[in-house]
Amino acid sequence: MGYAAARGGLDAISAAEALVRDARDLANSPWLELDQLIDRQRLAVDRVMGEGGLWDPRLAARALQQSEGDTIEASHLLRSYRATMPRFAYSHPVDMDDARVLRRIVPAFRNPPGPQLLGRTTDYTGRLLDRTDDALARERAEKRSIDWAPAEQAVTTSNPTDAGTVASTGPTKAHLGDRRHRRLLDVLRDMDLMVDRRRTDDPEPADITRAATRPPAPRSAVLATMARAETGALVNLWYRNILGPDGYIHEVTLGEVRHAEIPVTVTHPHTGGPVDIGGVRVTEVEAIEDLDGADEDRTRFDAGYGLCFGHNEKKAIAMANLDIACHRDGGGVGGASDLEQSILMTTDGLDASGFLEHLKLPHYVTFRSMIDRKMAMRSARTAEHPVFDTTTATDAPVPVDPREGDCA
Amino acid sequence: MSATVSETIDWSIPTEGTRLDALVEPAVEAGILDEHAKRELRRAILTAVCVPGYQVPFGSREMPVARGWGSGGLQITLAIVGLDDVVKVIDQGDDEGVNAVNLRRLVTDTTGATETTEVSEATVIQTRHRIPEDALEAHQTLVLQVPVPEPLRGVERNIAELGRMHAEADYSRMWVSLYEDKVRNGVITKSTGYPCLVGGRYVIATTPIPRWDVPRLHRAPFLSLFGAGRERKIYAIPPDTDVEPLTFDDVPFEIEKTPGARCSLCDATEAYLIEIPPSDAAADDGRWICSDTAWCRRRRVEASQS
Amino acid sequence: MTLVSAPRPTVLRVDRLGKIFGSQNPAAIEQTGPEVGSEKTPDGSSVVAAWDVSFDVAAGEAFGVIGESGSGKSTVMRAIAGDHSASAGSVRMRRRDGSTSDLLTMTQSERRALRVDELAVVYQDAADGLDLNVTAGGNIADRLTAAGGRHFGQIRERAAELLERTEVPLDRMDDLVRTFSGGMRQRVQLARALANRPPIVLFDEPTTGLDASVAAGVLDLIRSLLEELGIAAVVVSHDFSVIEMLTTRCMVMQHGRVVEQGLTDQLFEDPQAPYTQRLVAAARA
Repeated sequence: MGYAAARGGLDAISAAEALVRDARDLANSPWLELDQLIDRQRLAVDRVMGEGGLWDPRLAARALQQSEGDTIEASHLLRSYRATMPRFAYSHPVDMDDARVLRRIVPAFRNPPGPQLLGRTTDYTGRLLDRTDDALARERAEKRSIDWAPAEQAVTTSNPTDAGTVASTGPTKAHLGDRRHRRLLDVLRDMDLMVDRRRTDDPEPADITRAATRPPAPRSAVLATMARAETGALVNLWYRNILGPDGYIHEVTLGEVRHAEIPVTVTHPHTGGPVDIGGVRVTEVEAIEDLDGADEDRTRFDAGYGLCFGHNEKKAIAMANLDIACHRDGGGVGGASDLEQSILMTTDGLDASGFLEHLKLPHYVTFRSMIDRKMAMRSARTAEHPVFDTTTATDAPVPVDPREGDCA
Repeated sequence: MSATVSETIDWSIPTEGTRLDALVEPAVEAGILDEHAKRELRRAILTAVCVPGYQVPFGSREMPVARGWGSGGLQITLAIVGLDDVVKVIDQGDDEGVNAVNLRRLVTDTTGATETTEVSEATVIQTRHRIPEDALEAHQTLVLQVPVPEPLRGVERNIAELGRMHAEADYSRMWVSLYEDKVRNGVITKSTGYPCLVGGRYVIATTPIPRWDVPRLHRAPFLSLFGAGRERKIYAIPPDTDVEPLTFDDVPFEIEKTPGARCSLCDATEAYLIEIPPSDAAADDGRWICSDTAWCRRRRVEASQS
Repeated sequence: MTLVSAPRPTVLRVDRLGKIFGSQNPAAIEQTGPEVGSEKTPDGSSVVAAWDVSFDVAAGEAFGVIGESGSGKSTVMRAIAGDHSASAGSVRMRRRDGSTSDLLTMTQSERRALRVDELAVVYQDAADGLDLNVTAGGNIADRLTAAGGRHFGQIRERAAELLERTEVPLDRMDDLVRTFSGGMRQRVQLARALANRPPIVLFDEPTTGLDASVAAGVLDLIRSLLEELGIAAVVVSHDFSVIEMLTTRCMVMQHGRVVEQGLTDQLFEDPQAPYTQRLVAAARA
């Protein structure tokens, strides 16, 4: 019996849904609490918020719970939920220097203004699977938890000349000397080492959730697309362009890598004044690109920018490198590069996986039509005017496929 | 299009402690597509109807179905359907296809429209890969799910160049690919989703409907709307519009045919039939059946009554 | 009574064509040219690739542009072909309907329409004028369908006719051009250029890069096509023998300026400008 010919399709679907739900919810193990996901699988929760384009750790945790850990499925749940919600305000632009910095490193300089703050990271920890007996690990954790104050601490800095950053209540803007520490780009600008691409006009940022974005697109559209892109897609697009057969970008030097909390403010519709409605946590990266092109100012550097929800450094770094690469490579047809087209059209997790998995849908109408064409070709070959056989040409590349244009 | 919008805004100014809730307008009906999205979709649809065959970009929303699974068709249906509508949803011509079932319940659950499997009762028919065998009438709308809206994708990848080709009606590379196809294979091998010239101006991808269904678009009395959610494009064929499959004057457009095939259930030969292969190599129980299940069933009912 | 044939109409008039790359500084003009010995300004901010170039081409006539690299001959070619914009001047072309258009003021899409059946270009590198991933016949079908051809049989016939005329073996009509040798590719390019019988054809170094014997065959073919079809042609080459064989009038360019202009035979017999004399002497040697 065919998969599409199953009578009582609704019954079949309901049964499939029940299987998923029951196997997930009725398993022997204890109920998976949202707090557990938020506290102990925070990076998965952060990733889902980033790819879902919605800041709400509890909703993201719920989505992860429902999707049984499939992050793309979870981000789909967040996005379709988001699509149902009314939009009542836009936030004011956020000054990233108002951020409460949790982690900040500057690979380009040893002693930048402000500290190198390792923060909460496993970058410098050996990747060794902890084989401690699980019950014992739990016991030890429970003993330690009595004394531990839950906040984003355990701060260490690699810059010993920076005063008072150890064993404190956390690295805040106020704590880091009550002044904003200059970003590396500011330092480089003062040294006249940066190309100045800052705009004096103030164009409306593109809203990719409200309008289709196709190349050539403004930078804001490319950045917004990358902010919601699937993490692996960006990382691998970056890697492919570094090492693959047709890539042309090279690695940046990182100027700032920050994990920070930022406040979000909107305008009160009645009083007209600013209202603080909360905050989000982001990863921000400023990348420095060495200019070496014939038409570029080779005595200076340029910069790329990356920003995404949650703690997701690989994504923000890939984003920053792809941002500057896109700008430098704006040489395709109509001023848009192949890279821009790749970013805008192939990095969204929902689009890519949805389209891929749609191949599982019934395609028997199409397939019957393909078989018909094969039969027709065979009749044509035996008919009066045989077709010239071009298969003897050596090294002939696969010619343009006239059948492309429908789905596979 | 009978959906209505009602919004009320509470203008009373709270005096003490502004709460977030007070900033929010009361929610309109809970659904999966908000009213702004519907408005945008309708505008895009109107533009598409005014420029037959032109791919209108639109801000495609995330739907509860995955991209590639009918999110575009679903958005169009949700934008045009209201309480008075009767909706039929098919996949490969089958109302019981599991994806069709899922889409149909999403539509009826969230819009209050009723459902049917009979074409004669439907006002809106959402379909994947088939046009129903029954002739549609002027008051009916066909909503087609489109995986790839770009007919020139096989000859050009660059988006800007594709835009230019459509803008200048420069379809020369498409014609070259048809020439090469005919030369190499003796026939034009395009199977489903055959490229057609609409209203003498734009070339469209007819979604993967079989060639069998393509002639039924030409000067049809009904409106056809094409939704590509993932690619964020909508296009349309208004009623009574010329739809001509691209082919050479001396190379007739061919529909699928297998001599001698007839539906083993209703005995039809003039319908799109799909093959059920023999149960094993030695068996001779291979047969054909109609892809349009509702049409086939009705024929059987009518035959048994006569 | 002597019969005097009516003068043939001018189909292409290039009037004070100029192209400056880089800073569009008018002072660059005095700072460059044959007297100065360079087409680049001393400070390198501008390149006056071509300036004050004027010539006419009559129906059925072949006009030559000779120069070494940097002379500006390619710039002139590209400006007429529409592959480049120009900084000054006009390129007026007589249309099929008798009207005149300035190619330099046209939009890209108007120019593309022109290139279907009123102006064709044969490039030095056949890959610039052909789609290598398409068959020989398909490359010709491209032009025929662009002009509205929709009959497969007639397209095949016309393509076969053209390939026969350009001496491409018919049993290769359905082979991808990528599999053809350089000389054969040029022949296919010629066939394609002539598909819709354009009244004007531009030839940009049509035989440069080909083996001598192959080049001779292609050159011979071009000459007989020009005679037979009565098309107006502009032939650009650094090779005197090409210009001598194909053209009745020509001009010599150096550092972006026209140095001498006249009947091809006379220019060869009796070059006036010192530069022309040097070129002719070198060619004879």
